[in-house]
Amino acid sequence: MQYVVRLLLVLTCLAMPVAFAQAPLTAEPPPASAAPAADAAPPATGAVPPADGSAAAPSDAAPAPDTRGLDTEVQGLKKDVVDLNRELFVLEEELLFPANTQVAVFVSMDVGDFFALDSVTLKIDQKEVINYLYTPREVEALLKGGVHRLYLGNLKVGKHELVAFFSGKGPNDRDYKRGATLKFEKGIGAKYLELKINDRQRKQQPEFEVKDWE
Amino acid sequence: MQRLCMALAAVTFCAPAMADTSYPLKAHEAPDFALHAIAGGNVRLSEHRGDVVILSFWGSRCTPCREQLAALNRTLATYRSAGLQVYGINVDDDQTRALAYAHGESVTFPLLLDPEKAVSRSYQVDNLPMTLLIDRNGTVRFCVRDYNAKSEELFLQQLRALLNE
Repeated sequence: MQYVVRLLLVLTCLAMPVAFAQAPLTAEPPPASAAPAADAAPPATGAVPPADGSAAAPSDAAPAPDTRGLDTEVQGLKKDVVDLNRELFVLEEELLFPANTQVAVFVSMDVGDFFALDSVTLKIDQKEVINYLYTPREVEALLKGGVHRLYLGNLKVGKHELVAFFSGKGPNDRDYKRGATLKFEKGIGAKYLELKINDRQRKQQPEFEVKDWE
Repeated sequence: MQRLCMALAAVTFCAPAMADTSYPLKAHEAPDFALHAIAGGNVRLSEHRGDVVILSFWGSRCTPCREQLAALNRTLATYRSAGLQVYGINVDDDQTRALAYAHGESVTFPLLLDPEKAVSRSYQVDNLPMTLLIDRNGTVRFCVRDYNAKSEELFLQQLRALLNE
């Protein structure tokens, strides 16, 4: 009989810590920080949330739809900003370079076997308006058919002179500098000029040309 | 006396940070530029958006500049794969000295020439060496106006933080 009583006592003692370990969790109110999560959780069925933290899972999952909504809103705002920026850019160009005085100069390049472009210096009416250095990436883009807007400015109606100096490496990797000139007449509308760099196969030399787009 | 010593120590310790906070372009977009490199093609800063860029303004007569270029070369070897670009911008009036230095030293990053000082003016260079850290969005984040062990350590901390962003 004594053995039975002792055995019961031992079992009771072993069971006590487990009981105490669970008791505070069930008896104590949830901490203040957990209150909103408890409010946000679906209506309880009377069961006590488990102590292993799995109760936090529903509260974490709940705001997911809100995050998605916020993300969509942010994407919408970004699009609005991009659209607004584009409109401002167009407006700025229209104001700063009105069509009746606008002059734009473009650079294009074909093949490029005999000339590796380094820089272009542009003079209009004997005044240097731009000196542009081309990086290898930009030259690559030109060789792929890209056209670069080198200069955008304003000129009065009348006769003008454009001089472009091209610097780079010519045949046999020698330093090469050439110029091209065009006298043109600026009318009422916008003026577009193109500086074209071509390879002249017969002479094994590059050719520089200024084309006037009416 | 103790207070004075402590104050001096604090000023010495904070000197790089103070120099950094007084840099007017900090937290501003780095001015774009295109420059000739001593070897290789031209370099345009805006083509390196997405990389962390170090710009080091140097002169061939400046001994700390040379030490810093060597240190930057080691830094580049370590962090190149993490998206780091380093450019040394020479501000000498006489470019032959810069060319002689470039041919004599074995730095692996491009050394750029700024003979007209247009880029130096836009970056408000007032000391040599002067080194700038530009983040992946093209914003100036950190400036070191002097080169010593302390400033280098601080600089590397900032660099690591930027590379981790």
